[in-house]
Amino acid sequence: MTPPTLDTVLTRLAADNATGSLRVGKDGTVYLTGGRVSYVECATTPGVEELLTASGRISASGVRGIRQASGPEADGGDLLVQKGVLSRGELEFCVLGATLDASFFLLRPAGTPRSRFKEGDTHWLGTHWYFDVPGLFRECERRRARLEQAWPSGELDGQAVVPVGRLNGGHVLLTASQWELVLAADSTATPLDLARRLGRPAYSTLLAVRELAAAGLLATSAEDEPGAPALPKRTPAKPSGDAAERRPPPLADATDVNLLIRLRDALEAL
Amino acid sequence: MIGIEDCLSEVMSIPGALDAVLVEPVSGMAVMGSGLPDPARSAAGLTETFRAALEGIALASPEGTVRIDNMIITTETSHHLIKTIEMVFDGPLLICLRLDLERSNLALAQWRLGTITDQLMAH
Repeated sequence: MTPPTLDTVLTRLAADNATGSLRVGKDGTVYLTGGRVSYVECATTPGVEELLTASGRISASGVRGIRQASGPEADGGDLLVQKGVLSRGELEFCVLGATLDASFFLLRPAGTPRSRFKEGDTHWLGTHWYFDVPGLFRECERRRARLEQAWPSGELDGQAVVPVGRLNGGHVLLTASQWELVLAADSTATPLDLARRLGRPAYSTLLAVRELAAAGLLATSAEDEPGAPALPKRTPAKPSGDAAERRPPPLADATDVNLLIRLRDALEAL
Repeated sequence: MIGIEDCLSEVMSIPGALDAVLVEPVSGMAVMGSGLPDPARSAAGLTETFRAALEGIALASPEGTVRIDNMIITTETSHHLIKTIEMVFDGPLLICLRLDLERSNLALAQWRLGTITDQLMAH
């Protein structure tokens, strides 16, 4: 028997107002508080700990100290705020960002990994932000559409990031995160490696890589290997709000053909 | 020191406030909205507005690199105030407030928005 999808498991836990942790295969954990998702961690994305240490706010040993000092009620987040490491707003935003980033990679729609629920288990940071389960899946879907809109190929997602040596045009506009990526790219690190190295969310790194690719600023392996399939053509950018609402083209109906035949007959009869 | 939710209700208490939304412009997500029928749609539009302004102003500035601190867009019915908040990682965050043209004081609203975002970031 195949295990139920993650979607089904989480929807059931939400309906039961469950509090605890759901271990998803070897990849990560979803924490629930009263049926709502309060934190998600994933092996491939930086968590709050990594984001804080990479930003230079606190050392790795500092985080360990606070983690050990946080009691069974899991008030590690409050301790961080009390010690002045970050403000309450920053903590909430950090938890929210890390949760969405991890969810994007952990809650893949096709996956049916084995999951195990541990009742009553809480994350050491405590609860600082909530997502309802359908809302979280919707946001992951929106992010997937946003990625496709930037550059409709996942080809570069797992490959080393290699900026082109020479620009096609005279100048180029980069965002701050794109600039950091170009600077950090050493022709061996993949987007996920770079995200870890820079302490940036994996999703926004992936998005920046695809935007750089769309702007023609990254070397693609397709150009090196003769016979490799060419990258898909770039589609013109649309406002991001439209991405989720894009409808498939209407299918031709037999009545349309009949109407056209009648129209032709009528015109010929003139 | 206030959290995101309190920050938004403080913003909505500014005289003339019609609606407000907190936007994460990298992914274009609405973090939280108030008084809006569809925060996700507003967030998408505001993200595009911010991105376009950033690129346009970068080209228009002799130094080439810019950091937008705040934007004011006045339409025939309202003022849109967009203020950036620098974040620990993956910043900035945008706080976007729409004000009634007749019932608001732009200078007061800007000043209040500044104090509220300072409170959000205060340690």
